Amino acid sequence: MSEAMSRPSSTPAARKAAGFRFSARHREWIAGYLFVAPDAIGLFVFAGLPMLLALGLGFFTLDGFGGFQFSGLANYRRMFVDPLFLQSLKVTLAYVLMLVPSLYVVGLALALMVQKGSVLNAVIRSMFFLPQMVSLVVVALVWQVLLVDKIGLVPKMTGFLGLGGLSWLGDPDLALVSVVVVSVWFLMGFYMLIFLGGLQDIPREYYEAARMDGAGYFAQLRHITLPLLRPTSFFVLLVSTVAAVAGGQAFDLIYVMTKGGPANSTSLAIYYIYQQAFQYNEYGYAAAMASFLVLLLMAMTLLLFVLTRGGRFNYD
Amino acid sequence: MSNDAMPRITGSANAGSSRFLLPTRRSVLAGGAALIGGAALSAPYVSRAYAAETLKFWQFYAPGGTVGSQVTWFEQMVKSWNDQNEVKVELVYVPNNEYMNGSKLQTAFASGGGPDLFIISPGDFLRYYNGGVLADLTPYIDEAAQKDFPESVIANRKVDGKIYGIPMEVEPMAMYYSIKAFEDAGLNENDVPKTWDQLLEVAKKLTTSDRFGVLFETQPGYYQNFTWYPFMWQGGGDFQTAEGKSAFNSPGTVQALKLWQDAVNSGAAPRKPLGGGGWDVVPNLGSGYCAMQNVGIWAIAALREGAPDFKYGIFKLPQPAGGKYVTVGGGWAFVANARGKQVEAASKFCAWALGSMAPDSIQRVVDWCTVAKSDMPPRQSALEKGAAAFNEGMMKVFSQEIYPGTRAEPRVPPQVYKIISDAIQATQLNGQDPAKVAEQASAQLDGFLAGYSGAPIL
Amino acid sequence: MTDAALPRATAGEPPSLYRAVPAVLALAKLVLALATVAPLLFMLSVTFKNQNEIFTMNLIPEKPTLDNLTYVFTQVNFLRYLWNTFFVAATVTIVALFFHSMAGYALARLRFPGRDAIFLAMFSTFLVSLPVIIVPLFILVKALGLLNSYAGLIIPSIFNAFGIFLLRQFYLNVPREIEEAAVIDGAGYWRIYWSIILPLSRPMLAALAILFFLANWNAFLWPLTITSDENLRVVQVAVASFQGQYTASWNYIMAASTVVALPTVIVFIIFQRQIMESIKTSGLK
Repeated sequence: MSEAMSRPSSTPAARKAAGFRFSARHREWIAGYLFVAPDAIGLFVFAGLPMLLALGLGFFTLDGFGGFQFSGLANYRRMFVDPLFLQSLKVTLAYVLMLVPSLYVVGLALALMVQKGSVLNAVIRSMFFLPQMVSLVVVALVWQVLLVDKIGLVPKMTGFLGLGGLSWLGDPDLALVSVVVVSVWFLMGFYMLIFLGGLQDIPREYYEAARMDGAGYFAQLRHITLPLLRPTSFFVLLVSTVAAVAGGQAFDLIYVMTKGGPANSTSLAIYYIYQQAFQYNEYGYAAAMASFLVLLLMAMTLLLFVLTRGGRFNYD
Repeated sequence: MSNDAMPRITGSANAGSSRFLLPTRRSVLAGGAALIGGAALSAPYVSRAYAAETLKFWQFYAPGGTVGSQVTWFEQMVKSWNDQNEVKVELVYVPNNEYMNGSKLQTAFASGGGPDLFIISPGDFLRYYNGGVLADLTPYIDEAAQKDFPESVIANRKVDGKIYGIPMEVEPMAMYYSIKAFEDAGLNENDVPKTWDQLLEVAKKLTTSDRFGVLFETQPGYYQNFTWYPFMWQGGGDFQTAEGKSAFNSPGTVQALKLWQDAVNSGAAPRKPLGGGGWDVVPNLGSGYCAMQNVGIWAIAALREGAPDFKYGIFKLPQPAGGKYVTVGGGWAFVANARGKQVEAASKFCAWALGSMAPDSIQRVVDWCTVAKSDMPPRQSALEKGAAAFNEGMMKVFSQEIYPGTRAEPRVPPQVYKIISDAIQATQLNGQDPAKVAEQASAQLDGFLAGYSGAPIL
Repeated sequence: MTDAALPRATAGEPPSLYRAVPAVLALAKLVLALATVAPLLFMLSVTFKNQNEIFTMNLIPEKPTLDNLTYVFTQVNFLRYLWNTFFVAATVTIVALFFHSMAGYALARLRFPGRDAIFLAMFSTFLVSLPVIIVPLFILVKALGLLNSYAGLIIPSIFNAFGIFLLRQFYLNVPREIEEAAVIDGAGYWRIYWSIILPLSRPMLAALAILFFLANWNAFLWPLTITSDENLRVVQVAVASFQGQYTASWNYIMAASTVVALPTVIVFIIFQRQIMESIKTSGLK
């Protein structure tokens, strides 16, 4: 470790011991830089640089075998007339619009359901959370078997409702819904816990007072729980939106379950970009689309930063 | 194996980066590498890229996998080569779904680390040829052996008269049906459909609450296109004219798109096959999930191994009203990486294995097509040598009825098969109007073909 | 707090609807919870089923068999894959926590020029997920010579703004006095960090360790993209390619899935209280 980090700071003894020393203020500066350096450099190299690189690569046509050629704005122009890229943005939007509200409602409902401390509730809480412990690849594989047309368990069970003929992963109108349902199933336990954390912070006295007034369960929900959960709700909506757009989770599911199909109906922007690069060797074009997405996400981050007053999520 | 890990870092960084990255950036990155990677890690865990001595041979016949005889064939071939040669070959297994529709090969080449040897289908030939990674194998194949490959088989592996891939097999497409499913539905071999209308009708009859009547591939990719082409050709359709313009917007194309759409819309064809996809016969036809399946000649061996008690029949592709019979013949070929470490040895290996007049080379082709797999041989000599096997049982149906109408699988660049694939997907699974889709696809094709400068699309 | 529209019938009795029908609600909750874990039970059940029984409705196999599990371990080198995954996930977790806590401490407690700018820059990578930058990142990692290596699996996974952000948040709430006492004792910044800040953040680090380990244990896209060497395969990639290899055999695929899922599920069952508490209270809200 360096001088600044290992040596005492502003004690008189230390100052006397040596001749020339950095001032206390400067020592703090140097310590600060050294503490931040590993992560700052790492993030720059493995997150910042790729983002910049994407922007630059977008100006080239790369053939995937080492050949490249400067192609100016061609890639950037192409993406706004590429019907499949525009469709992938629409699919992303549809995914976000379906996933975020569902997660909010399901997460909150589960939290309210198991809020009271009892042995049964503790067990049930764990059960709701369990899917989160399984990897998305495994989740996708399991659901794939469950959703097999005609003979899978889901078609068999929904057969009683007259829905047995549906092709959950094979019908373009349903495949994205299926992906959303599986995503909700996987994520709901996590958001349930976030809501439980929020519910814990609501003072019990409020409910007692309301009960004295004769307010029923739903009145309490409407007038106490929901208003006081606002910061938590805000966090949940923000984080789930961001996660849905960035698409880390959806990617694994789609890669294993649908490969973006049928007929590109589950081809999220991130999946389309991946496919263009790694399947069709369009690395330059993929980079151009990726940089568009990076800019979109950066704008969202900035908004997030402003909305949360500099990245503070806990409202007290 | 080298005993020092550090030189390898630079070695593999240099191998491909200059091709892929701007040189100026490299120095920046190298600095970062030293800073981040070099110091922190212990030697054994740093880049274990590629040992130079052995040739890596990528293919999708899994060790211990589903069709054991095919793996054995590969292993014996490699052993036999390794016994006789200084430069060794090592088999590397890549699962089929990552090989055909995945990104494994592409990623490897993009990073400058492609395999020395691999197998490709005509459907994907141009991607690699145009990328400049296919070695010219002609010098290693003697005159007589070159003539042993019928032009119809070798043409789509040739550019300017030079051979860039040696075919292992010829694989025509046909229809398979389950005898039990037919019996359950009160049908027999006389009800085997001969026209498209009959096909849809029979398929409907064979459909039950837990079985589909007929299966066509639904997963996008060059394999799906391959299985769809014959239906397009039967009605006189094609994707390009002799002048290299799009011919996609034609009645033949539209009716082929519509056939597959009708099959799905009627509920007789599944939207998602089981197992690996439409090429995979055991989990679909063999398990009773469908009653008829559009699949190739290789399914005979797959059923022999994976469902030996399964009773089935084979018939040639039904035809549209006023159409003519034609099917498509695919098949994989050995190729050598022109940018590999030891191109000459790799090329020699390909020629030695499948393209020499030596008896063991011919026998190897016969074995592959009869013992290991069930395929038509790509060589005249092998067809003669294995005549008995090609003319008995199920193979006889192929060699006598189905094979004679075979047209070679087209070779197209990825951009073209993506356009065709999107058209098939949009009509088959998304209910779009075939006429409109064909028109749009045709416009896209024209746009691409106008600016295309690679090897001829065949 | 009164709501005129609401009937007052329940007043006087246990006031909430919730308490009025506890038995029915408890039952409904239980059914829902069982439905939630049902897919996983299905996976477990197929693991012990014969091929011809896969699509039957019975959860308990008629003739339970261990063949599928034996097959998974004998045909594929799953032990090696499990070790690879563990090694990568554990290394990433340890190094990441170390770096993030250092950065978090400096960003929260030390004053130096450009601090807020650095934090903002780090924060700006917060939302950029792997699939978005995978093409350039792949090219970069290739240029660094890290393809097909443990280093390539580990190093890029270490850095993420999420951990820094949470730890900074945590350290912002640590009372000043604790540090000041140490400063008077003549402790340097490193000692303050090492002997005061780190021990103080043990619960937070534990929570993050679990999250990081899980995320890396479950990572799929990155290992899939940068490794082709079989000796470097991780379990998620292995199980996905297992599906490609044994397409017809859902019993094998589910057995492999069970093997992959089991370690994390067992960890969860043992530490469920801690894991869930830490997520609930760790400032993740």
